[in-house]
Amino acid sequence: MKRRDVLLAGAGGLALPAYLSLTSEGALAQGAGRTLLLAAPGTPEGFDGDALRPGTQETVVQVYEGLTRYGRVERNGRTYLNPAEIEGHLAERWRVSDDGLKYVFTLRQGVKSPYGNELTAADVEWSWAKSFDQKRTGAFIANVSNVTAVKALSPREVEFTLSAPSSIFLSALTLYVPGIYDSTEVKKHATPEDPWALRWMETNTAGFGAYHLRSIRAGEQAEFVANPNYFGRKPHFERVIYRAVPSGASRTTLLRSGQVQWIDRPTVQQVLDMQRDRRVKVEDVAGRAMASVRMNCAMRPFDDVRVRRAMNYATNKEALKQGVFLGTGDIAKSIIPPIVGGYDPSFFSYDHDPAKARALLAEAGFPNGFEIDLLFSNIWWWEEAMAVQLSDQLKAVGINCKPQRITGSDLRARGAPARQDMAFFTFEDGPIVLDPVYTLQLLARSNGVSNRAKYANPALDALIDRARTNPDKAVQAASVKEAQKIWMEDAPWVMTVYPQTFEAMAPNITGWVPHPDEHERWVDLKVG
Amino acid sequence: MRAIGGFLARRALLLVPLLVAVSFLCFMLVRLGGQDPVAMLAGPTATAAEIEMIRGNLALDQPLWAQFLAWLGEVARGDLGRSWVSNRPVLTELLDRAPATLELLLYGVAIGALVGIPVGLKAARRPDGMFDQASRFLSLLGFSTPTYWLGLMALFVFFYLLGWAPPGMGRISLMVEPPPRITGSYMWDALLAGNQEAFASAASQLVLPVLCVAVISAAPIVKQTRAIALEVLASDYIRYARAQGLPPRELRRMVLRNSMVPVVTFVGTELAGLVGTTALIEYVFAWGGLGQFGLNAIIQGDFAVVQGYVLALALFSVIVFVVVDLLVMLLEPRAGARA
Repeated sequence: MKRRDVLLAGAGGLALPAYLSLTSEGALAQGAGRTLLLAAPGTPEGFDGDALRPGTQETVVQVYEGLTRYGRVERNGRTYLNPAEIEGHLAERWRVSDDGLKYVFTLRQGVKSPYGNELTAADVEWSWAKSFDQKRTGAFIANVSNVTAVKALSPREVEFTLSAPSSIFLSALTLYVPGIYDSTEVKKHATPEDPWALRWMETNTAGFGAYHLRSIRAGEQAEFVANPNYFGRKPHFERVIYRAVPSGASRTTLLRSGQVQWIDRPTVQQVLDMQRDRRVKVEDVAGRAMASVRMNCAMRPFDDVRVRRAMNYATNKEALKQGVFLGTGDIAKSIIPPIVGGYDPSFFSYDHDPAKARALLAEAGFPNGFEIDLLFSNIWWWEEAMAVQLSDQLKAVGINCKPQRITGSDLRARGAPARQDMAFFTFEDGPIVLDPVYTLQLLARSNGVSNRAKYANPALDALIDRARTNPDKAVQAASVKEAQKIWMEDAPWVMTVYPQTFEAMAPNITGWVPHPDEHERWVDLKVG
Repeated sequence: MRAIGGFLARRALLLVPLLVAVSFLCFMLVRLGGQDPVAMLAGPTATAAEIEMIRGNLALDQPLWAQFLAWLGEVARGDLGRSWVSNRPVLTELLDRAPATLELLLYGVAIGALVGIPVGLKAARRPDGMFDQASRFLSLLGFSTPTYWLGLMALFVFFYLLGWAPPGMGRISLMVEPPPRITGSYMWDALLAGNQEAFASAASQLVLPVLCVAVISAAPIVKQTRAIALEVLASDYIRYARAQGLPPRELRRMVLRNSMVPVVTFVGTELAGLVGTTALIEYVFAWGGLGQFGLNAIIQGDFAVVQGYVLALALFSVIVFVVVDLLVMLLEPRAGARA
């Protein structure tokens, strides 16, 4: 052996133990104490709830809380939101005028932001004015709940004026947008060019919620700490480290090895793998959205309702549930998902029946079927498998369907209200307000922002409007029921499955409460 | 020195049209790629009017040539625009992340070259011998291993199964506060700040991704060095030197010296070419560098960032080639004289 080789071996012998001692962090999450370690695909791209970005929504819900909130119910040892019960949150109580057009909220006393400023009616007025001015998500929520003006009456009283009575309004106030900001703090960072301090909000938060942002290193890590002045129960986790780990495979490895306690957005395949692993806890809940294939009702051949019904009969939903969703989720039987009150599956009549589908196609003038491109993207993990398997099923009734991939942004752009120029495409939509009228308004009304394929039925629009503006609960319920019936008969979507929602966490994490926006609330979580 | 000065001046002059051409190609490819970021920016509840408003704000309603000229004018003033997703200046975003990528790339390619060049030279000494066969097999393996898979496997084996490496979650442990920024490299900044804990964490996080880049870069370097050395060994002057009875040690020095020019050129090409590949390593190890940023921007249709990213890559390649040319001039005085 040469002298050089001996030296090399010696250096290697010394370096390896030294390196191992550097890397032996063990399971980080076990020693993290009151810190929650979370791996997500990226860091938030800003903290303005009105300008939602992919990573924004997950974190603004931790910072900005609503004037109202859903009640909670215990079922089988788990806590769920109860959409039938709305209770005060940042607001203590409210009174409504007889005509249902004025609501006056009395704010809870002693609600403070991390900056030490107490919540006032001026904060609520300023926050809604911001959303009205930005004309984005908050303005949309204001619009669907008929809110036209928000005014501070006194430091603790704020008045909302509605253009018509709204069955959605109190539910809509549970949302984080329009977020309620500590306007005293935010105004310090406003400039004449940027009156709402949106630039400051790119890297700062100022809410009255359980957490606030301490620091962010873009693309790497965000750190949140508990609001020391939070009015509610003190959160178990005093600190949350939100680490960007773009690879889904890496995120699951980190959870399995105890490096993090929570991961965002695992795929179903990863979830099924993790369910067999004792080092991971997987919890699930019925989904709030429907995986569907949309048919453009203004384009041939889908302008004929018989063709749309035939498509639904030709679809083997159970096979899609098994083949695409790997046996998870529930077969979709209404435009309103089961977690929303008013869900009525009784009008569903599209069991798999290829013979009936062929007969309907023949009746519509397509005895030999037709050719169609099925557009799909990669926004949702199930799209490609769905496009391929549905195309195969449609062959049985003579429809030659060719799956064609487009980009996610293209799919969204072409389904937007101004365009809606795709004939046949995959999409997943669902409500973030647990209200049947909101769901119908969003997905089924002719001007609904998630009606992406020109479905329009004036009778249905009238029913939605009646339910939305009539304060009588019985009238609302009857209208919602009738609307589901009409929608089912019109069959504008190929209905498939409500995909299950999963969360994957360390085995010692408890307290997860499912929310309709599919984001956990860190304030709910604890160890043990 | 004057020759070098003249050479650099000519290169700098060439740089401008080159970067404009690259920018133009990139701009057009991005715009004509069919992606529409407006819908994503507008969010799921946007109305047609809002979508049009955002399109107008981003000047996407202008003709393509007007958009390009406006962008070029801003770039000439040192403004690469703002990310449409984060709204932060693209230049700041790129500068923030560049040290992370450079660190990965430079260490990786340096290790790849330090291993690859001697192995290639040794393999060429006895073509088809045991060492040559083994090195060719390993080189082929390195060539044919997909980068993404290599990163995942490295993590699976060295972190998950063996516990020898830290988790692939960025440049520093979750529980360690990064040092104040001086160079942008956590390892060097921690060293400068005298923060032992941060230094240890940053250094250990570097090992696995750097080794992945080293494996990817070493494979072609071995192959290329071997081929170059074989050519040199078959040359008349080596045959003559051998016939003169020059000792093997001197002979090896001669082969090394004569192989260096093409080998250095090749390593430079590798360095420039690997910037793109490193993006996948960054993605797997959550590195937060330029590559991961660029990849994400491509997926999200963040045009301003994609353009800035491609421009940065082009500039990096140009700088690498200038350095390579300077090294060649030092190694090969005739090249200097020609320049």
